[in-house]
Amino acid sequence: MPKDEAAELLQGTLDLLILKALQHEPMHGFGISLRIRQMSDEVLQVEQGSLYPALYRLEERGWIKAEWGVSENNRRARFYELTAAGRKQLDTETAEWRRVSAAINLVLKGV
Amino acid sequence: MKPLRLIVHRLRALFRKENLDAEMSEEMQAHLDLLTVDYQKRGLSAAEARSAARRAFGGVEQIKERARDQRGWMWLDHLARDVRHGWRMIAKAPLISAVIVVSLGIGVGVNVTIFSWISSLVFRPLPGIANVTRFHLIEPKTEAGNYPGASWLEYRDLRERLHSFDWLLAYKMLPLNLGELGQEERVYSQLVSGNYFSVLGLRPTLGRFFREDEAVQPGGAPVIVISHSFWQSHLAGAPDVIGRRLRLNDQQLTVIGVAPEGFLGTTTGLTFDLWAPATMAPVLLNGSRELETREARGYSLLGTLRAGVTTAQARGELVGAMREFAANYPSSNVGFSAELLPFWRAPRGAARLLLGALAALQSFLLLVLLVVCVNAANLLLARATVRRRELGVRLALGARPWQLLRLVLIESALLGAMASALGTLLAVWGTTALRVVSLPGGFPFKFQTDLDVVGLAFAAALGVGSAIVFGLAPALHAARTDSQLVLRTSVTAAARRGARSPLVAVEVALALFVLVVAAMFLRSFLETRTADTGFKPEGVLLAAYDLSNSGYDKATGIAMMDELLRRLRATPGIEAAAVASWVPLDFHSMPLGAFKLDGRARSDGGQDRAITYNVTPGYLDLMRIPLVAGRDFDALADKAHGPQAIVNEEFAKKFFEGRSPLGHRIEGFNASFEIVGVARNALYETFGEAPKPIMYFSLRDRFALIEQIHIRTNGAESALAPNLRRIVREINPVFALFDVRTLTEHVDKNLFFRKIPARIFAGLGPLILLLAAIGIYAMVAYSVAQRTMEIGVRLALGASTRRVVLQIVRESMRIVWFGLLPAWLVSVVAVLIRAKTDVLNAVILVGTPAILVCVAWLAAWLPARRAAKVDPMVALRAE
Repeated sequence: MPKDEAAELLQGTLDLLILKALQHEPMHGFGISLRIRQMSDEVLQVEQGSLYPALYRLEERGWIKAEWGVSENNRRARFYELTAAGRKQLDTETAEWRRVSAAINLVLKGV
Repeated sequence: MKPLRLIVHRLRALFRKENLDAEMSEEMQAHLDLLTVDYQKRGLSAAEARSAARRAFGGVEQIKERARDQRGWMWLDHLARDVRHGWRMIAKAPLISAVIVVSLGIGVGVNVTIFSWISSLVFRPLPGIANVTRFHLIEPKTEAGNYPGASWLEYRDLRERLHSFDWLLAYKMLPLNLGELGQEERVYSQLVSGNYFSVLGLRPTLGRFFREDEAVQPGGAPVIVISHSFWQSHLAGAPDVIGRRLRLNDQQLTVIGVAPEGFLGTTTGLTFDLWAPATMAPVLLNGSRELETREARGYSLLGTLRAGVTTAQARGELVGAMREFAANYPSSNVGFSAELLPFWRAPRGAARLLLGALAALQSFLLLVLLVVCVNAANLLLARATVRRRELGVRLALGARPWQLLRLVLIESALLGAMASALGTLLAVWGTTALRVVSLPGGFPFKFQTDLDVVGLAFAAALGVGSAIVFGLAPALHAARTDSQLVLRTSVTAAARRGARSPLVAVEVALALFVLVVAAMFLRSFLETRTADTGFKPEGVLLAAYDLSNSGYDKATGIAMMDELLRRLRATPGIEAAAVASWVPLDFHSMPLGAFKLDGRARSDGGQDRAITYNVTPGYLDLMRIPLVAGRDFDALADKAHGPQAIVNEEFAKKFFEGRSPLGHRIEGFNASFEIVGVARNALYETFGEAPKPIMYFSLRDRFALIEQIHIRTNGAESALAPNLRRIVREINPVFALFDVRTLTEHVDKNLFFRKIPARIFAGLGPLILLLAAIGIYAMVAYSVAQRTMEIGVRLALGASTRRVVLQIVRESMRIVWFGLLPAWLVSVVAVLIRAKTDVLNAVILVGTPAILVCVAWLAAWLPARRAAKVDPMVALRAE
């Protein structure tokens, strides 16, 4: 399935987006995907197939932590929150992304 | 990311699987609900919103699966699941699984048994000694390539001269007579240097070992160390054995220590009972001058290299030293060099004898294992067609091809593991059984095989290897299953049989090859048993004696021998009697002697050598070796004629090119012998040897006190034994007689080492045949099962049962021929090249494939017949 491969390529980027989305407040899975869509002006639509594995991965690495809470429609949902390490990771990855994308832009601008 | 935390997390995921699963379901359900609400907000109805949300979300189960994969070591969980599934599949086809496991188990078992034998000869040649590889054997070597051993003086010189070695010790085998008069027993000892035990790094179980000063003065220290098993068997393991005196060769020696358990001496394959200092030689062997003459050889030398010295350097120094000796002591050392050898190449001992034979046997057994594997692959493939529907369903449900491959491979791995386990058990039984076998006739040989870590690793490797070999075909077949094709009903027979036919052909080819090799080997073994030895062994009794310390000199000794033979010949029942220095077809090789013919030296400065054999007059007649020219030796008491010799036909051919050797002289051994007779060739050392030149000398001229008595009778040989003992006692009450056996037994002993592989072949041959039959039966049975409908149609349309059956059989046989013919051609070519072309070989080459074809025909006919008997209406409704 080609969509899978595309998702794999952007794995690191997805992590960054999730961390960013959680910067200000804890959210559940649906909320995170919504947030990313909003923040990117509807361009980036995260698939659930990639979202949850990414969430579990980040949780394993200790950058986000999860707790059960109550969602908007009064259902139990798992809320994710950035940890201190996660915040630091967000800063690191943001800086890295800026560096790399600037370099790519440079290359593309050249002849 | 902290690795520890990661591990903890993953372990938790593994063990709390259900819990986490439930949580994950709930979480995703919550997400779904929120999506539904979202869609509703956009204006869809509740039902529409729900389905839209579902669609947008994607396949819940798939997502859960991928999320789960991410979660932890889920592959472990999957593996466990696959193993359980594999086990169920094995249990569902008990007969096939049993055949595979048992046949593979036998194949692995025999291979591991032989392998552990080989590995213990190579890696643990000396039991009881740790780290044998640090020792090197130093063996002097003649120009002709013989290893006669070192002399004591040579050892002492080398010890001083060689600086590459930390320590150098010497040892030599010496058979002794133990016990009181009239009750002597033969025991085997080693004469050793004073540092023997300390260099080997051994600790005594009781008492102590030799001190250096105890091996300096000839005859100075009458002490011995006994082996642990001797201590148990002969001295009842008594704790007060230290200080006890044993009577050896009529001398009293004191026991000063007991060697550690499991230490058997320093010659591979032989067990020794006691060790004495080398300086006791002149005492134990009355009048031996071996401590003073350099010509008296026989010692093996063992050394440890000094740290930092390479084997190349040591070898260089050794060769240099030997060259010096050759210059300084020409009479004993001219032409001598020396070699540094690993233990398994020791020239004295059984290792060399065995390793070649064992290696050949192992190759054959591996081939057998291959046949078994191919058969297993065949059976599994046959069963794979039955499972194709299950696999098709799995594929449709989203399994990936490599997952199906993994499934089938795990099943094969399980079968392989069970076969390994069974094979290991068989090998344990096999090695234990071998160890209990002891050789007939007083030679201290013991099988030292043990199933150790290396052997177990080999068993595991064989199991895994076999599993891969036979598992690959069905696994690939499974992976290539086309789900669409399979879920529909019948597919053409040709496509399905595709993978199986070459396998059956291969199996038949291998089976034929194995059977031909086994038949050839059996034939050669049976032949050697009935081969013409050149003498007549039936009816001859042998007895050895050792009168070394009984006070005889040459004159009295010859008179005694004469008297003994006279009395034996006068006894009723004894047809003939003679004495000889050895018995042919013994384990050790015959001694070679250097000589000059008619005083002429050879032009190239080398020396002529031939086997020397000292006998009494009448020996050739007793052995029924005819004289083709000349006459026998003159009587022992005869003083008129000078020293005489008799040569054999090969000697005449080699050294006289067909002219008569009678009247010519052989110069050597401090005398000049006139050739008075020519005897027919016979076998001297092994079956199947090329004719060798031999010189018989009369014991009148070359007298010795360790000999073998031969007596021939018309009746039962064993009945003569009491008479023999009586007469011998009458001659001399101190006469030590031992090793009483018949010549037939002695000759059989030589065949002993061929009996074991022959028995293995005899057992495996039918097994291979059976396996080939099972393979063909399975192929036909399953193929026929698939074609039930086709058969039903044919029968319904009026074909006779017989025609249908014959057609099926013919198709199957076509595959068999396909494999048989190339293998048969290869076998014929191989036999023409390696073996002789005669009627019996032709019979084997025609008979073996004939048997195989008959078996194959039967194996194809039975299932075909059964299938054709089915009612056509039932067959048509089967699909």
